[in-house]
Amino acid sequence: MAPGKADDSSSALFIVEPNKLMQTMEKNRWPPGDLVIWIFILAELLVFGVFFAAYAFTRTNHVELFNTYQLTLDRNAALVNTVALITSSYFVVRAVAAIRADDSRGCYRWLLAALAMGLLFLLVKGAEYHHHFSLGINLNTNTFYMFYLSLTFFHFLHVILGMIILAAVALKARRGGYSAAEHTGVETGASYWHMVDLVWMILFPLVYVMR
Amino acid sequence: MNDRSTFLLRPCTWVYAVLLFLTFVTWFIGVNNLSGRFFAFMVFGFALLKGQLIGDYFMGLKQVAGPWRWAIFIWLVMVGTLITVAFWQTL
Repeated sequence: MAPGKADDSSSALFIVEPNKLMQTMEKNRWPPGDLVIWIFILAELLVFGVFFAAYAFTRTNHVELFNTYQLTLDRNAALVNTVALITSSYFVVRAVAAIRADDSRGCYRWLLAALAMGLLFLLVKGAEYHHHFSLGINLNTNTFYMFYLSLTFFHFLHVILGMIILAAVALKARRGGYSAAEHTGVETGASYWHMVDLVWMILFPLVYVMR
Repeated sequence: MNDRSTFLLRPCTWVYAVLLFLTFVTWFIGVNNLSGRFFAFMVFGFALLKGQLIGDYFMGLKQVAGPWRWAIFIWLVMVGTLITVAFWQTL
């Protein structure tokens, strides 16, 4: 190797590496993705927060009822669903990392894997609903089931919306519509999907476990 | 190239493992019908921790400065306080 070339590379290292280090250490002023989705996420979180508080405070007047009917819920199905959502969220994180590395195909594949986990959630939750409905349980059965069905179904609808968003992002990624330089759409869809996961992290222990 | 970073897990992978572990502990408490203040608030504490980890590492808020950094944290504190107050009366 020519001495001049060696000098070039070492000086490049000296200049580039500290810059890269600064980039990774530098904090952003705004969250990833489109700011509008974050306004939407905060609004959604407030709605779910009100639902959670309503469940908890209503329970104070019906402790026996809530404890009795909580035992009728399938905790194993809830475990599968929680693992499915966490895994799905992890796959979405990997999809974002892939597109930041300019890997559109990798991003597409991680998003497909995330969608598969979302579909698993819908199937398991759908089986739970089928079981309850086949026993004649509905929103009128009692206060506990009114909260259980409305809370989980509201979340169920958010999973469906999140999957539609992820599918649209995946299709665009497949066509090469995102790059390392421009991938706001991937981060926007990812942020919404993580919100759906975050809400379930509270819903699972609150409705299925705490007593 | 087999440099040191090849053998290190990404932070998000560690967080994923922690989330799964806390989920299995929560499920174990649930299927064994362990009740009372200790177990209820332990499980709920896990839930709040999981929420913060998702906000920080999955949603990327750990790399954000300013008010948005605390958006999920503030929501968790608000929801956590309300649910704790409600359950405290009955456990």
